[in-house]
Amino acid sequence: MWDQFILNPFTNVLLFIYNIIGHNFGVAIILFTILIRAITWPLNAQQLKGAKVMQDLQKDKEWLDIQKKYAKDREKLASEQMRLYKERGINPFASCLPTLIQFPIIIGLYQSITRALAATPLGLLQLASSIYPSFLNGALLIPLNSRFLWMDLGRPEGIPFPAGFSLPFLPYGFPTLALIVAATTYLQTKLTLPPSGGGGPNDQSAAMNSMMSVYMPLLLGYFALNFASGLAVYFVTSNVLGIVQYASMGRVNWRNLLPGGDKTPPAKPSYKK
Amino acid sequence: MKRLTLITLVVLAAILLSACSAGTSATTWPGLAADNKMAYLADGTYVYAVRLSDGTKSWQYPDKAGTQLFYANPVLTTDGQVLVGSAGRDYELTSLDVATGQQKWASPFVATDRWVAAPLVVSDTVYAANNDGTLYVLKLATGEKVWSLHISQELWGAPVTDGKLIFVTSLDHFLYAVDPQAQKIVWKVNLGGSAPGSAAVSSDGKTLYIGSFAKKVFAVDIATGSVRWTAETKDWVWSTPALGGDSLFATDISGNIYSFGAPNGKNAWPVLQPDGPITGSPLILADGSMVVATESGSLFAFDTSGVKMWDDAPGGKIYTSPVAAGDPASGLIMVAPLNTDFLLAAISKDGKLVWKFTGK
Repeated sequence: MWDQFILNPFTNVLLFIYNIIGHNFGVAIILFTILIRAITWPLNAQQLKGAKVMQDLQKDKEWLDIQKKYAKDREKLASEQMRLYKERGINPFASCLPTLIQFPIIIGLYQSITRALAATPLGLLQLASSIYPSFLNGALLIPLNSRFLWMDLGRPEGIPFPAGFSLPFLPYGFPTLALIVAATTYLQTKLTLPPSGGGGPNDQSAAMNSMMSVYMPLLLGYFALNFASGLAVYFVTSNVLGIVQYASMGRVNWRNLLPGGDKTPPAKPSYKK
Repeated sequence: MKRLTLITLVVLAAILLSACSAGTSATTWPGLAADNKMAYLADGTYVYAVRLSDGTKSWQYPDKAGTQLFYANPVLTTDGQVLVGSAGRDYELTSLDVATGQQKWASPFVATDRWVAAPLVVSDTVYAANNDGTLYVLKLATGEKVWSLHISQELWGAPVTDGKLIFVTSLDHFLYAVDPQAQKIVWKVNLGGSAPGSAAVSSDGKTLYIGSFAKKVFAVDIATGSVRWTAETKDWVWSTPALGGDSLFATDISGNIYSFGAPNGKNAWPVLQPDGPITGSPLILADGSMVVATESGSLFAFDTSGVKMWDDAPGGKIYTSPVAAGDPASGLIMVAPLNTDFLLAAISKDGKLVWKFTGK
């Protein structure tokens, strides 16, 4: 089911792009990521809008009063929150639903890249069974040209160390792309995280933002270090496009790059009062 | 609470992404070889020697799983070595003692990529085709590199020889003939598509037979590199064709079995289609009958006229070529399935399960 409706169509579109641009898999990954991002743009926009409304609400005086007043009565607190949602015309799930819809698309994109790279006999057999014969001539496409810039996209990236020098924890050499992945993930996380409430010692959203900006770059950097560099190209492209999309919607918080810049005063509410 | 949720989400994302990246890991079907007493299975992190008599383990290499990853077919040498290449990060080609499984040597040279193809041993020389597109020529006794020749892209098929030239297939759509004396390519043939399998050499040493993703089987004149005949197939040919008498047997990944006249490429039987994709080569037994394994986990035996003699379903998914083991007349057929609760099964020549080996 997954293969039929997500993975196989994605793989064929990726290979179609690869075919028409002259057999450059790195450029195909970048164009395919842009295409998927463009298709999911409305969902992203809706998610951002929903998230912004929720953030603004959480800085609202009435919301804060309710939190304080019913801190020990969870049931009453929930009913009061629902009342406020209703009064302000807010759908609390408006930011979650688009994310849930996008999730399989992102996973499909990721899997189609790994499938197309087909590093093993079993991988190549799976790729063969994924190709629509009436759409693409797989025999002419395989093997894919996995060279892109200095990388072999089917293998983890690393610029070889000088002869005689090695580091056991960096078996593929100096991990340039992993560092770029970590840096762009850090930038995207920092720039797109919303400003936290007031910055008090118990400000949970500030703590979460701080954790996100540390964990996500490390996590994706780790993947880029150990998995095929084609995936790292996807990570970098996706991160850059994410920043561009947020910027185009005026949601990039450049101040977050400054020390203490993520603690900003409440913004003008984006919902009706 | 929120912190806990976030950490949980990050961990879940890590697991999910790891699972998603399985396509780039080196998971694939095992390699298999056998002699009169033992079967040798290259399956993931271990190479096993399994006694044919009762399916028990004689030895495994290494003792504890390391960075090595084995799935190329092991190769047995007349001087008591088992050669097996690793697809792990080490890219090692390793020699093991056939009796004990102890390492004799391991790549005293550096290949730059994985070993998918089994090496070819001719006298005291090893010809090993690497995924980096290079044919490495080594001393059998020590594994030291004598010379190497960069051929092209990924080399997945084991090199074969007619005694003079070395023939190497590549995913780059070509079949290459290498002269080991001159250390150069003497001719190449465009196969129209990738060829992950090896070529089969005719008994008179004059013709090579090879299938490719171009949905064709080719007969190539060894002396000149010219194509003698081609025969169409319905889908991509993955495996090495098998010769039996004057017939050439080939399979494709839609599960079709073809019988061609070796001299002319004319269809000898109607095309057979048992029950699933076929990536392994047909096994030709001493009596001329043929055994084919399918992805559906089945084995089918056909007589010389293409009539089914028996079938059996050991289970799992079988991609590895079945291998004959033990006495040629009364021995066993070894199969190494994937995705099941055993690693290796021994089947009698009349299709009965004899034993299963689980790796313990």
